[in-house]
Amino acid sequence: MIAIPYVTALTTYFSYGLLFVFGHIRDLFRKITGCFSSNNLQGYAPICLGHEDFYQRRLYKRIRDCFERPIASAPDAWFDLVERFSNDNNKTLKRTTRIRRCLNLGSYSYLGFAAPDEYCTPRVIDSLNKYSPSTCSSRVDGGTTVLHKELEKHVANFLGKQDAIVLGMGYVANSAILPVLIGKGGLIISDSLNHCSIVNGARGSGATIRVFQHNTPSHLEEVLREQISEGQPRTHRPWKKIIVIVEGIYSMEGDFCKLPEIVAICKKYKAYIYLDEAHSIGAIGKTGRGVCELLGVDPADVDIMMGTFTKSFGSCGGYIAGSKELIQYLKYTCPAHLYATSMSPPAAEQIISAIKVILGEDRTSRGAQKLARVRENSNFFRSELQKIGFEVLGDNDSPVMPIMLYNPAKIPAFSRECLKQNVAVVVVSFPATPLLLARARICLSASHTKEELLKALEIISQVGDLLGIKYFGAEPKKHQQEEKMMKLE
Amino acid sequence: MYVKAVRPTDLNRNTEWFTYPGVWTTYILILFFSWLIVLSVLNCSPGLAWTIVHLSHFLVTYHFFHWKKGTPFADDQGIYNRLTWWEQIDSGKQLTRNRKFLTVVPVVLYLIASHTTDYQHPMLFFNTLAVFVLVVAKFPHMHKVRIFGINADQ
Repeated sequence: MIAIPYVTALTTYFSYGLLFVFGHIRDLFRKITGCFSSNNLQGYAPICLGHEDFYQRRLYKRIRDCFERPIASAPDAWFDLVERFSNDNNKTLKRTTRIRRCLNLGSYSYLGFAAPDEYCTPRVIDSLNKYSPSTCSSRVDGGTTVLHKELEKHVANFLGKQDAIVLGMGYVANSAILPVLIGKGGLIISDSLNHCSIVNGARGSGATIRVFQHNTPSHLEEVLREQISEGQPRTHRPWKKIIVIVEGIYSMEGDFCKLPEIVAICKKYKAYIYLDEAHSIGAIGKTGRGVCELLGVDPADVDIMMGTFTKSFGSCGGYIAGSKELIQYLKYTCPAHLYATSMSPPAAEQIISAIKVILGEDRTSRGAQKLARVRENSNFFRSELQKIGFEVLGDNDSPVMPIMLYNPAKIPAFSRECLKQNVAVVVVSFPATPLLLARARICLSASHTKEELLKALEIISQVGDLLGIKYFGAEPKKHQQEEKMMKLE
Repeated sequence: MYVKAVRPTDLNRNTEWFTYPGVWTTYILILFFSWLIVLSVLNCSPGLAWTIVHLSHFLVTYHFFHWKKGTPFADDQGIYNRLTWWEQIDSGKQLTRNRKFLTVVPVVLYLIASHTTDYQHPMLFFNTLAVFVLVVAKFPHMHKVRIFGINADQ
């Protein structure tokens, strides 16, 4: 539940209304001046129909310099940002040769594996020399190396499942697996805030899609009961299969899914569960095994576990883990396995080494230290931000913390002001989030030290004062006033 | 004063913003402030100002709710390209609270405009025409209906 101050909601709607009005006036002038200049389409249809690109041209373009900033080094706790300038109001952004060293609060490298690591990097370089950067073929032709086999075994062991299949891209793991698992006559019930890859995979499968309110097991039960009793649309025959799709950590909210209740409901109504642990694998739980370990759910209860290696493991690719029969079926039907080029061998070696570090198999305790540090960092940062008065979402222990901004003008203001003080943050607005709820999303990592976090807090607090986003009112002052009152008495 | 934002289950980003708290109040406040602005800029009688607000409200809402089709972004791959905004809200369900509110607003504006102009012609004619067109366009029977093929697709 997000609590918005009522006046802020009104001003946000009004600001978006004003932006839309100005955008449409500009479009009107563009159409008028376009009438005079000749249009040389030569009978071809225009690329954009109607006003499909209205948002892109009139709203996104104004703040384009806050997104897609190029970086010139590895995304460690500090990185080099390339400065850009624009002479024509963000229509073209030109890179300069100037570089700015900024504190990185936006990368998903929760355990700090994005930077050169003393255990992983030498092994990755060895495998690069031995196996070359690409296998140049798909898994079934000539692209399965020893590393791929080892990686699948390690992933299955790490998660506590029987077997796993590894794909070259995380997005594809969702959008190519869902059409293979379920088809027309099946039902997919997905959380309303699921990632775009899940939505694309679900739409591509041809199954009927129903959405339940974010993280509300009671609404899931309601939707399940309604759909099971009605059956397929029009014929009312029973559904061929029902899959419920949830994510471990929702990347825009930073909150965990209520897995124990959802698993109980799915068992009761005999639906399958598909858990997407893109952000939570490796970063959550005492030994990094993800949201199942944190919430005390037996991995055998979750039918299909999906995840990506891009976040905590510092590599690329995705995996699906499940029973032996499921993985065998996927290996001869999934197009991403049969036709797509297999994962790059050095990337696979990076994941194997990262898993070994996390489990402590490299005979040091660095993995456990990293996990403890990312948890400490996230809890400290979140509680400090809340004390200063920001509205921060997300549960405790979650390394993703969105700070609510709401007004469309505050989005580029926050980003640019923080950049002036050498802090790089990621801001998210419509359409990735609902219209009212624009936010700045902070992702912490194990490589951030306490001093860096304190400095970031100071800078964010200053920017927050300048922008007026401290919606909840600072707490310590109240405590000080109470203490003063008690001392006087 | 804080309000709770409950997440709707509407997947269409073009219309789900209408289900959050504060939209109705913003709409009414925009109409009221535009009346004040028209009064101060044109220095006319309050009745004429309400008529101007009513007619420009008609033009704006007809264009955006009932004429423009599709969504202003390309993420949804054009599944709403044949539907106007009015046909998209609440996923096509008729007679929801939002739809009832949006139908009542032009009628209330019409009553205010005709009362403050003392039901004189020619303002009455234009006001009546405007409210007639708007209310008929919002009937449940007019869902996806294109009269004489106006605004239909190729």
